[in-house]
Amino acid sequence: MRAQNSDMGLIVKTMARATIPLIGIFGAYVIAHGHITPGGGFQGGATIAGAGVLFLVAFGLSEAKEKINKNFYSVLEGIGGLVFLAAGMLGLGVAFFYNILWHKGPVFNGEAGTLLSAGYLSMMNLAVGLKVYTGLVSALFAIALFRRWKK
Amino acid sequence: MNVLPWLIITPLFGAFSMPVISLLGGKFREYWAVIVSGLTLGIAAKVFYTVWKSNEILVYTLGDTNPIGNGVKFPIRIIWEVDLFGALLALTVTFVSFLAILYSLEYMKHDTGLDKYYTLTLVLELGMIGVVITGDIFNFYVFLEIMSIASYALVAFRNDTWEGIEAGVKYMFVGSLASSFILLGIALLYGQYGTLTMAYLAMKIAENPTLISKVALAFLIGGLLFKSGAVPVHMWLSDAHPAAPSSISAMLSGLVIKAGGVYAIARIIFGIFNPGLHGYLKTFGMPAFNLNTLGWIIIFFACLTLVIGNAMAVVQNDMKRLFAFSSVGQIGYILLGFGIGIVAYGDKIGEIALTGAVYHIVNHAVIKGLLFFIAGAVIHQVGTKNLNELSGLARRMPFTTISFIIGATAIIGLPPLNGFASKWLIYESSAMYNPILAVVAVIGTVFSLIAYTRVLFTFLGVESEKVKMVKEPGTAMIVPMLVLVIIILVMGIFSWQISDKIMLPTAKMLEQLNGEYIMALLKFIGGG
Repeated sequence: MRAQNSDMGLIVKTMARATIPLIGIFGAYVIAHGHITPGGGFQGGATIAGAGVLFLVAFGLSEAKEKINKNFYSVLEGIGGLVFLAAGMLGLGVAFFYNILWHKGPVFNGEAGTLLSAGYLSMMNLAVGLKVYTGLVSALFAIALFRRWKK
Repeated sequence: MNVLPWLIITPLFGAFSMPVISLLGGKFREYWAVIVSGLTLGIAAKVFYTVWKSNEILVYTLGDTNPIGNGVKFPIRIIWEVDLFGALLALTVTFVSFLAILYSLEYMKHDTGLDKYYTLTLVLELGMIGVVITGDIFNFYVFLEIMSIASYALVAFRNDTWEGIEAGVKYMFVGSLASSFILLGIALLYGQYGTLTMAYLAMKIAENPTLISKVALAFLIGGLLFKSGAVPVHMWLSDAHPAAPSSISAMLSGLVIKAGGVYAIARIIFGIFNPGLHGYLKTFGMPAFNLNTLGWIIIFFACLTLVIGNAMAVVQNDMKRLFAFSSVGQIGYILLGFGIGIVAYGDKIGEIALTGAVYHIVNHAVIKGLLFFIAGAVIHQVGTKNLNELSGLARRMPFTTISFIIGATAIIGLPPLNGFASKWLIYESSAMYNPILAVVAVIGTVFSLIAYTRVLFTFLGVESEKVKMVKEPGTAMIVPMLVLVIIILVMGIFSWQISDKIMLPTAKMLEQLNGEYIMALLKFIGGG
């Protein structure tokens, strides 16, 4: 019954090996450029989660069980939320979600349109991307693990 | 420094850090949840005290100090606008949530996945706080969804029981439909008026009351009546409340249907479609809405809810289902108060009705919290909630029995307890406005009396086989019940003082005869 969880053929597996890094890099690009190009945390995070799904489907559940640690993903999701909250609280001296990095911060206040601009936005995009990726992958992994069809 | 953002930050931080904290294992996540919700309660008490003391609407802008955009004359940022009604609801929400979390320390001990449970409970609390403090209608929708989705997950939390899954699925399907109605209403308003700030939207609607905004109002009220469990659409409630863990039932019945339901209805009617503002326009012969129709629609549903909810409670055999139908019945009283508050707007009668409705929201949250805690204690100790199998619990669980007698008499509305004052205000205003409404309200109370008398006999009477070996629950379950009993007694003794000092100013601030809700925003435009 070894085949039940990894029933994809060699071609699919090889292609997955080639495309998973590409999807991951593209997702990371979408997240990192969230404040200057279309896309952002959610879109990029969902793209990377697509790479996770491809991994789960192509290599099967038993391979995924070795690679995906429930606690690790759960903690990463929490950290994503905490970073977002922390970014929102940076300017709490003025107001909640005041973009203090953009107005007078030491970093992320470059010329508008460049990568290191827009204040806390890139931090928030990273946080949301992390949260979306870990959340989607752990949700799909939990569904994939969920018991059998019958008793 | 302004304390208002901490009301959101604290539970959000608690919920996000829960997966990290639960790695420490053992009891940490429980203590963490208790600490976080206790802190939130303290902050809500501070906010409430600030608003009550100053008697002014607190406006907080996210992202900057001023909601008005540079060089324009309209608000561009999300604002939180907290009047006394919102602050009172925030205090109630954090108080009952704190007790529910304390109660779950022992009650949920036998369940698994408790880090998720506490995360979801904190998120539920967060959503309700957000709904009651926000002054932006899309922000309101987001917090409403946070609240709803957390409660779908919590209703189905015990996913090894068939009823949990069934109730969760039913609640989720119909609740999502209701949410999409609300979103559609918001989309129509945004398309017509191009703003999402509630106070500014109120001005825009008064300038140009179109058919679209009427349709949007219908969608909003329809969706929100659904969330509050008014009668034609109450069927999710009678399944969801019995199937949820009892600590969650206490929050669902005491808080969710108030914050996401009747509070939001009152806020949208009095904040956005202010009857006073439209009445004022009408005296100048300008186009305006006649909100009396809306008031009568709400009164109609209120009467239906009152009678059917309480009557259905009489025929139940399941203790928690009975309490759930009783919640539907009590929502009827609150809606009746708001309905009369609309049709008798600007009148003494309307003010009394609104005071009664606001007061009853708080009273019912406290009483129904206690009753569901008692039901949880009975289930936890005896293992059944079937009224036919339970009898003579009084000797084995004396404290629970006394708490139940206090809770039941309070919800029926007997004089020394807190339920009396709020129901009296609603009876008084309905009798003064239209005696038929008072008769309907009394019929509802008669049904409620019959229902609770039936439950009383399960606590008294001859001991059945099932209850021979039971004993009182532990401290962590006794303490929240005791706190609520004390609150009910104290609020009962000082009921008229509370009504004059807190509930009447709250009703006046909600009624906003001088358009205070809009003026709180206009202040910024004048200054900028």
